[in-house]
Formats: sequence, C-alpha cells, structure tokens
Amino acid sequence: MDANEKNDLLTKEVVRHVAKLSRLALTDNEIERAKEDLASIFSHIDKLKEIDTSGVEPLDHPTELLNRDRDDEVGVTLSQQQVLDNAPAVRDVYIDVPKVLGETS
Amino acid sequence: MNSITTTRKAIQSGETTAKEVTENCFNLISQEPFNAFHEMWNDEKQAYLEGPLSGITVGVKDNIVTKVGTTTCGSKMLDGYRSPFNATVIDRLIASGATLVGKTNCDEFAMGSSTEHCAWGAVQNPWSTDRVPGGSSGGSAAAVAAGLCHVALGSDTGGSIRQPAALCGIVGYKPTYGLVSRYGLVAFASSLDQIGVFSRCVRDAAITTEVIAGFDPNDATSVEEEAPCLVESLDDSIAGIKIGVTRDFLTDRNDPEVNQAIEDAIKVYEQLGATIVDVSLPLTDVGVSTYYVIAPAEASSNLARYDGIRYGHRTDKVGLDLFDLYSHSRAEGFGDEVKRRILLGTYVLSSGYYDAYYNNALKVRRLISEEYASAFEQCDVILGPTTPTPAFKIGAKSNPISMYLCDVYTANTNIAGICGISIPCGFAKNDGKPLPIGMHLQGPAFSDAKLLQIAHAFEQATDFHNQHPEPIS
Repeated sequence: MDANEKNDLLTKEVVRHVAKLSRLALTDNEIERAKEDLASIFSHIDKLKEIDTSGVEPLDHPTELLNRDRDDEVGVTLSQQQVLDNAPAVRDVYIDVPKVLGETS
Repeated sequence: MNSITTTRKAIQSGETTAKEVTENCFNLISQEPFNAFHEMWNDEKQAYLEGPLSGITVGVKDNIVTKVGTTTCGSKMLDGYRSPFNATVIDRLIASGATLVGKTNCDEFAMGSSTEHCAWGAVQNPWSTDRVPGGSSGGSAAAVAAGLCHVALGSDTGGSIRQPAALCGIVGYKPTYGLVSRYGLVAFASSLDQIGVFSRCVRDAAITTEVIAGFDPNDATSVEEEAPCLVESLDDSIAGIKIGVTRDFLTDRNDPEVNQAIEDAIKVYEQLGATIVDVSLPLTDVGVSTYYVIAPAEASSNLARYDGIRYGHRTDKVGLDLFDLYSHSRAEGFGDEVKRRILLGTYVLSSGYYDAYYNNALKVRRLISEEYASAFEQCDVILGPTTPTPAFKIGAKSNPISMYLCDVYTANTNIAGICGISIPCGFAKNDGKPLPIGMHLQGPAFSDAKLLQIAHAFEQATDFHNQHPEPIS
C-alpha cells in the first residue's frame, strides 16, 4: 500500500469512526485536521511495509518476561476516602455518574 | 550548583548544612524564568534524614506520582490531581535523605520533543531562552542545566531524557528497561517507558540511579535482581574497550557541527585507548516509524483510563449520557498532540489494520533488537549523536513529523529495551551564543555499569560538562 493509496482510505468517515472508538468528541474542523495529520504520519510510517518481516515473530515487550504472580496475601489498599478525594463528582460515599441503564441515546 | 559528591563532603565537614543547601535551591527556583517548575515544595518542617542523598535536591518530572503536591502530567486532564501514593523511586529517594524540591514541567503525558505541548506553558532552554529545552522531560533538563537542583528525574519512552539532556548540555541517562521500577510513573507506552536521571556529571547520575534502581514487586516488569553497582567501576580504565561507530548515525541529516563534535569525540576515545570498530545499524531509519506505531498503540490503551469518572477532568456539560460524558471530558481534558496519538494508536489497533500496522511494527521491533544484538557482538557500546541538531527555536517545528524525527537516534534504544546515555560533547555557534551538542552512547541490556564507566571516561578527559548557561542571579 503506498502513501497515496493510504490517503484515499483515510476518509473523514474513517477518522470520525476512530474518534468514536477513542471516545473523543471532535468537531468537524478537528476531524478534518486530524485526517490531514494522520495522512502525513502514515505516509512516513508506511516505510515499514518495505521491510521483509516474513517469518519474524512479533516482539511485544523487550524483556519477554512471563507473567509474574504475587502471593495471595492481604496488603494495604487505598481507603474509601482517598479514592473519593479525586473523584470529580461525589454523592454520599459514591462516585456520581450519569444514568447508565435505561433511556440512553 | 556543586556535584553530589562535593555537596555531601561540604555537609559532612560542617562547611554547610543540608538545610542551607536546599534553601539556596528554593531561592533559585522561586525566581527561575524558564517555566521549568510547575510546583515548588518548600517544606519548612523538612526533617533532613541522614542518608547518601541527604542535602541533595531533586526535581521530579510531573508524570511521576508524589503524595506531596500535585501530579498533572502537564495536562488539564489531571489539573490539581493529588496522588494517594508515592512512586517507588520517590519512596527510595526520600529514604536516602534527598529533598524533593518540586514538579518539573513536561510535554503533556510525556508526548513531545520540545516541552511546548504542556498545559502550563512552554519551557525555555537556559542556554537561549527563545529555544526549546527538548522534551518531553524539558523542565527537568532545564532545571539541572540552570543549576536549580542537583539532579532531576525524567522518563524516557523514545528519547525524552536523552534528547533534552543533549539540548541543555547535561547528562541524561535512560537505564535498561526493567532496572528502575515504573510503579507510579504515569503510563504512556508501558513496554518503552523508563524512569531515569538528569545530572551535571555522570557520577551524579550513577549515585542517584543506585538509589532508585532495583527490584520492585509492584512493577511486574522490574527485573528480580539486586540493584546494580554503578559507581564503583566509574574510574576504571577504558583501555581495550570497543566502541562501535556507525555511518548510519553520521549522515547529512545532522548539522555539520554535530557530526564534527562526534568525530572529535571518537578521537578522544582513541586517545583513551579504546578501539573504534565499524558497526552497521541500517534499521535506524525506520526506528521512528516503528516507534510511532507501537507507542501510540500502547498510549491509546493506557490513556483509556481518563474517563472523567473516578479522577481527572469531567466536562461541565449537563444532560449527557455516559458515552458523551466520556467523549466530551476527554476532548476537553486532552491537548492536540495527545488526541493525535490516541487517534493514531486506536487506528493501528483497530480491526482490519492490526496486522498491517501494529503486528508488523512488532516484527520490525524484533529485527531492530536483533540488529543491536549482532552489533554488540563486535563492541561494548555504540557511539553517535543524540540528536541531529542542537536546540531549535520555540515554534519552529509545527509539523508533527518534523518533531517526531528529533528521536531518530534515540527511539530504537527503547524499542530494544537497552540502556543509553547522552553526555555533553561540544557546542554549536548560534549568533554568538553557544548551543550544547550531545553524544549518545548505547549499551546492551544490563551493561549499565560499563555504559556509565565509558561515559565517565570521556567526561574526565573533556571540559564540556563544566560549561553552564549564565546563572539566573
């Protein structure tokens, strides 16, 4: 896939969809600008496609450590008050959020 | 600002006190014009614990959590956020007697190479205030360069310690991935992030890293080994050490003065008895591309936690459903560069593009790692410039790609998880004002003691690290 092909695929609709997946409320202007920025970034990133990676295993982490389990012991945790102190909206001892179930758009 | 060793001797001999040393720092910070600090913590009741860093002042990048003060990551998203716990490195510094002097400004969520993308304003380079200090740990770099504190903590995901150290004419050391706990470092790209130290000399970086390094059960990627001895071997001779040099680093993308400074540095090493060997790292050119797939992918996942519910910014808009509450809180809280990277990362991870971009970048990551491994069969460290150019003017790089290319020589260190350090190696002339040039040394994973020894040998043979910008008062 060359850079021009990429630019064609990266439509405003695609960027709008990615913004939705990213939970970012962007204006039309921001979508347009993001489309241009991403197109220029991808034309650079597309260099990677010229590299022969056939037969190469992906490396997702430099140490390639396996999972490390801790002992199942009770430790110190944050208090309820410490957690609530940083919440933007609190009611009684709860974090206040909009209604999740029911009539959502 | 004296070195840690000199300051400790002066305190131990009774020539000065820890209190006097730290008060002098607070006095400087309170009048610093560079916007290096977001917050200063002058605690009148400070206890001055006895320890190896008693009386030593440490600046903390604003993406490392501290119970004292706020941790904002240079973002409106975390304006006023107070961490209920300390990062492991912070607990270790406190236990060693160090004085934490405040939080230093950084690019928002450590995304940037200039510290212009900070919600609290751009940071200025103390050598030339119309220029950037580099980034993303620009506040920490400017603070140490200007002599506002002995050392400062930074984080390095693709060059965010080494690049600003180069641009500010100081030492910036990124330890091997896994050597220093990341617990309490606000995550950007977890497989690349590493906490490290800014200092005015290699010994200070070694002393401070010995304090903060070592296994931490709270970081599942920290290695289960004793903290390394980094100071003990600093003065050992480097005769017979093999230094790899590659033409892939000395190209015409660099300023001629940068290439000249590196050529001169190679001669210094030859005089010190090191052997220079030619190595080849052709994948240098695709490092930034690989980085800008992997890092945004991990960032889009890590930054999903900022949802406006449990902490951080929540939109004031009323009557929103949960989806819109998330989307508006995030759109209002994050700056442009962070949004750009979240979009980029979400895209490369999304269905239909995962294999073509993310998975392919991980394959290139292995090739880069193998390329280093074969280079290190021939040499102990690889030498080159830290950055293609000295500090650029504030506002000069408005195009994202031109900013990203600042990391061309540093990103692959993180991709491979090895260690790297930038030390001062020259000055470029700029309208009569000198601008520092940094030399980059990279070593294999867990060869940190040798890396610092080789950097220290150069420092002892040259005078670049003794040159500082004009004092602020």
